[in-house]
Amino acid sequence: MASFLKSFLDPKKNPLAAMHMKSVSKRLRRYGLRYDDLYDPLYDLDVKEALNRLPREIVDARNQRLKRALDLSLKHEYLPEDLQKMQTPFRSYLQDMLALVKKERAEREALGALPLYERTIP
Amino acid sequence: MANKQLLSLARRSHKPPSSFTVVRSSSSAAEEFIKPPPPTAMIYDRIAHSLKSKLQKLEKPDIRFLKYGSPHPTQSSHTHILSLPETKITTLPNGLRVATESTSNSRTATVGLWIDAGSRFESDETNGTAHFLERMIFKGTEKRRSEEEIENMGGHLNGYTCREETAYYAKVMGNGVLKAVDILADMLQNSKLEEGCISRERDAILREVQAGEHTEEAVFDHLHSTAFQYSPLGRSIHGAVANIKTISTEHLHHYIHTHYTTPRMVLAASGAVKHDQIVEKANKLFTKLSSDSTTAKEPATFTGSEVRIINDYVPLAKFAIAFEATSSTDPDSIALMVMREMLGSWNKNAGGGKHMGSELAQRVSINGIAESMMAFSTNYKDTGLFGVYAVAKPDCLGDLSFAIMSAITKLAYRVSEDDVIRARNQLKSSLMLHTDGTSPVAEDIGRQLLTYGRRIPIAELFARIDAVDPSTIKRVANRYFYDRDIAISAIGPIKELPDYNWFRRRTYWNRY
Repeated sequence: MASFLKSFLDPKKNPLAAMHMKSVSKRLRRYGLRYDDLYDPLYDLDVKEALNRLPREIVDARNQRLKRALDLSLKHEYLPEDLQKMQTPFRSYLQDMLALVKKERAEREALGALPLYERTIP
Repeated sequence: MANKQLLSLARRSHKPPSSFTVVRSSSSAAEEFIKPPPPTAMIYDRIAHSLKSKLQKLEKPDIRFLKYGSPHPTQSSHTHILSLPETKITTLPNGLRVATESTSNSRTATVGLWIDAGSRFESDETNGTAHFLERMIFKGTEKRRSEEEIENMGGHLNGYTCREETAYYAKVMGNGVLKAVDILADMLQNSKLEEGCISRERDAILREVQAGEHTEEAVFDHLHSTAFQYSPLGRSIHGAVANIKTISTEHLHHYIHTHYTTPRMVLAASGAVKHDQIVEKANKLFTKLSSDSTTAKEPATFTGSEVRIINDYVPLAKFAIAFEATSSTDPDSIALMVMREMLGSWNKNAGGGKHMGSELAQRVSINGIAESMMAFSTNYKDTGLFGVYAVAKPDCLGDLSFAIMSAITKLAYRVSEDDVIRARNQLKSSLMLHTDGTSPVAEDIGRQLLTYGRRIPIAELFARIDAVDPSTIKRVANRYFYDRDIAISAIGPIKELPDYNWFRRRTYWNRY
């Protein structure tokens, strides 16, 4: 069942999905970002905990990519064409750690303990 | 070494891909040579790849490490440890009870006298005599200097005074037990309480009273004095300063004569001891004490009240909140012990940290609202106290009070089976782990004989603990916590601590 639904979303099988992936990839490549850079630690505290656990070099690279994208957006520019061709927008570094963090939080809640962090609405 | 690694890292990450230089030279014809770099080019990609493989290993945990670490508390059977050595008790003709528990494999022993006399039995004018007397008794008798003789044997001589009992005990090697009994009997019956010693001791006690004004003991002293005001349990153990200054030899002798009587004493021994030898020795030695068994005791009355001592110059605020609990002989005291384990204790050095079992400890540690927190449950002959003591910084007192009161009142409404089983297991193991040497065992024997009149066998104690289930907890909490007066005592920078009516309102919920 799950794999049947997944075939709807698979870019290799569904041309609409391929068009969506190409468009997302183009927009991310224009600013030199990866898909995992778009996860906001202020929005979801699990992302904050996952970023805390990742090694320093990965988080530094993410921050540098975000700073470069902010600079480009400020100047209303895109990344140079040759650099755009070298981008890898779907190379992931966060998904596994994020899944682990969410699994741990679900286990803690299932055991009836209080959550370690809770998002407070400012 | 680290420098070398940093340099090689920098060199590797700065190495440009070979296609890059080709592109720069001819732009138009070589566009199809531009490709995204492989995942091994940049260091962050390499690290992410190795991290991914490590995380995938976590999907299949090794069963060997999960064999004993289950997060669900389970009831287990302890029948193999319940048959501990039997406590032999003999009552001498003059009323003195001799109780021993001999463990054949130990080479040391503790022998001591536990007396049903304490600061509770004094009056307002004589408050402080019990503690003073306990200090003076160590100073020497007519024939010998007791401390020196015990130390010569290689033993320790110690004593303490509580509100309801006084104890003198000596830890010695197995072959020195009878001599220790001799010394103890001599100390109690033939102490020379001379004036010179008394005045020196008086100064020492006055200095101690002054030094102890900011400690944890001070909070509990104030708590007792406000909770049991106008009643003997409210008096502090070391007494009022004016009384300390006027205590004399006649007061001390009078106290010995009226309160150190043989029916109120228990000679307890544990370790490498033989019951018959000690009984024989006790029969011969304890002859000069009176056998009067009247224990004149005023009933203690609990008054819901508070005492707050504001002092903005100390960094931490310490406060204790207490409900009136039950006497030690009431069967509900076991349920209160289990509830004390359910509330638990926490301090910043606790190994469990944010992952402890008690919900109050979790709330306190996750939000960082206290430096340390401890639930306590003390029982006296006819009453008791149950509550929480906490030390915190001055700015989080409101949150901390809310957490404490909601945790206590929740025990009357919602109690989960898991929490009760975990608390029961913790209580059983803490009771057993505490009595792990000859001294704790002797103290346990002495105290139990004085409070219960018998030594409760471990099997019965475990059975009573196992009989506590969630409905019992709710019933006991309704009896002692639901809409009942409390006593609060606080010292330090407590301006933000909520007032008495705030606490009193939170002893019940209107939700159900």
